[in-house]
Amino acid sequence: MTAALLALADSRLPAGGHAHSGGIEQAITTGVIGDPVSLAGFLRRRLTTAGAVAAGLAAAACRAVDVADPAAVRPADLLAALDAEADARTPSPAQRAASRQQGRGLVRVASRAWPDPAWASLPAQPHHPLALGVAAATAGLTPRDAAHAAAYLAVSGPATAAQRLLAMDPITVAAVTARLSPEIDRVADDAAAGDLPADTDPLLDLLAEVHAARNDRFFAS
Amino acid sequence: MRTLVEVVARCDARGRTVLPVVRASGQLAVRRTGSTTVHLVATAFGPLGGDDAEIRLVVEEGARLAVRSVAAAVVLPARGESPPSRQVVRAEVAGVLDLAPEPTVVTARADHRAEVRVQLAEAGELIVTEQVLLGRRGEDPGRWTGTTRVERSGRPLLHTTVGLGPGAPAWLPPVAPRAYVSTVCIGEPRPEVRTGVDAVRLPLPGGWVGTAWAGELHDAVAALASVTEDVELVEVAR
Repeated sequence: MTAALLALADSRLPAGGHAHSGGIEQAITTGVIGDPVSLAGFLRRRLTTAGAVAAGLAAAACRAVDVADPAAVRPADLLAALDAEADARTPSPAQRAASRQQGRGLVRVASRAWPDPAWASLPAQPHHPLALGVAAATAGLTPRDAAHAAAYLAVSGPATAAQRLLAMDPITVAAVTARLSPEIDRVADDAAAGDLPADTDPLLDLLAEVHAARNDRFFAS
Repeated sequence: MRTLVEVVARCDARGRTVLPVVRASGQLAVRRTGSTTVHLVATAFGPLGGDDAEIRLVVEEGARLAVRSVAAAVVLPARGESPPSRQVVRAEVAGVLDLAPEPTVVTARADHRAEVRVQLAEAGELIVTEQVLLGRRGEDPGRWTGTTRVERSGRPLLHTTVGLGPGAPAWLPPVAPRAYVSTVCIGEPRPEVRTGVDAVRLPLPGGWVGTAWAGELHDAVAALASVTEDVELVEVAR
């Protein structure tokens, strides 16, 4: 099963994540990020807030389509409720749009990779973590795996975006991301085991909205 | 120390709000200060580490309730290894609730957990303002974790947890503010997004949430007003 998890978290999976910087582009513009130290700090903020929420939602979505008796509890109802919980945790319209765009992109590739009736239970343009959770389930992975993929993707894509925008040394950026591994694991394990996290960073909301209003941006978010 | 406050606002046969239940025990007293207003009054220093307060508010259909406090709450650590203090507001709102206590000041070494959980009926309206300052003048910041969950007819409209202060994982330089203010308003047309300097207002179904931060509380209040001023925040944020 491990290979399926690696495929799901691989930045080369053509799910559209490369078009999103997760707030990095605006953080660079406003001077919040400028070097590896500030990048690591920003990725940690993102991991422990948006990353924790995504991990919790992904694990829950994976569990939702893996229910023992689909007749008693409809996966579609569970996923619709999770989609509402995702909206409640994502009041920023720009972040909602980015999440749903990436969710749609992931459904496109993962439903082809792992065809399964479970895909029909997802709402039309699902939040990305929901699509990730269903992808994990259809690939035979566990809710914990789904949480780990979500937490990892919450920092890996933005780290690559920072490398491109700041023309940073790729080895330095890879090291920054790799050194976050223990924290990624902890965030994912906590999110998969407990209640749905709701951690928020108002700075990310502000950056996302200022970014969305720009017309000179390279990334969609 | 355990503290419990209960207030019920009801609409009488003549359409006026009455308050059939106004009671408190523990470290808070509650006083009627107007026909639809109560003030919370601290009867002891604190809260202290380990203290637990619950404020239950019910605003029935057609009724209005404004909840204020007479002074800032200064959260102090207990001696030695101080456990967190907690304050939970649970509100069921079919009428109109306006909740705007004075600021919470979290002193060095204190760890305060604040929760606001609101269940709105379909016609319920809400305005909640929180103001937080980490540390008194010249003092190290304490830690504050605030969770807000608002549901309308069982559907979540907003659910966020913000962690501030040393040890909070997302409270990191260069953006590690000592002052934080937030207002949630439900019962207005959905507005546009507005952004300011360290302030943002985001639309919600039937309302909005505004958030701002700064080094000083009055700057955070002004920043929040700059993105919400068209919605009469002046009195709430005063």
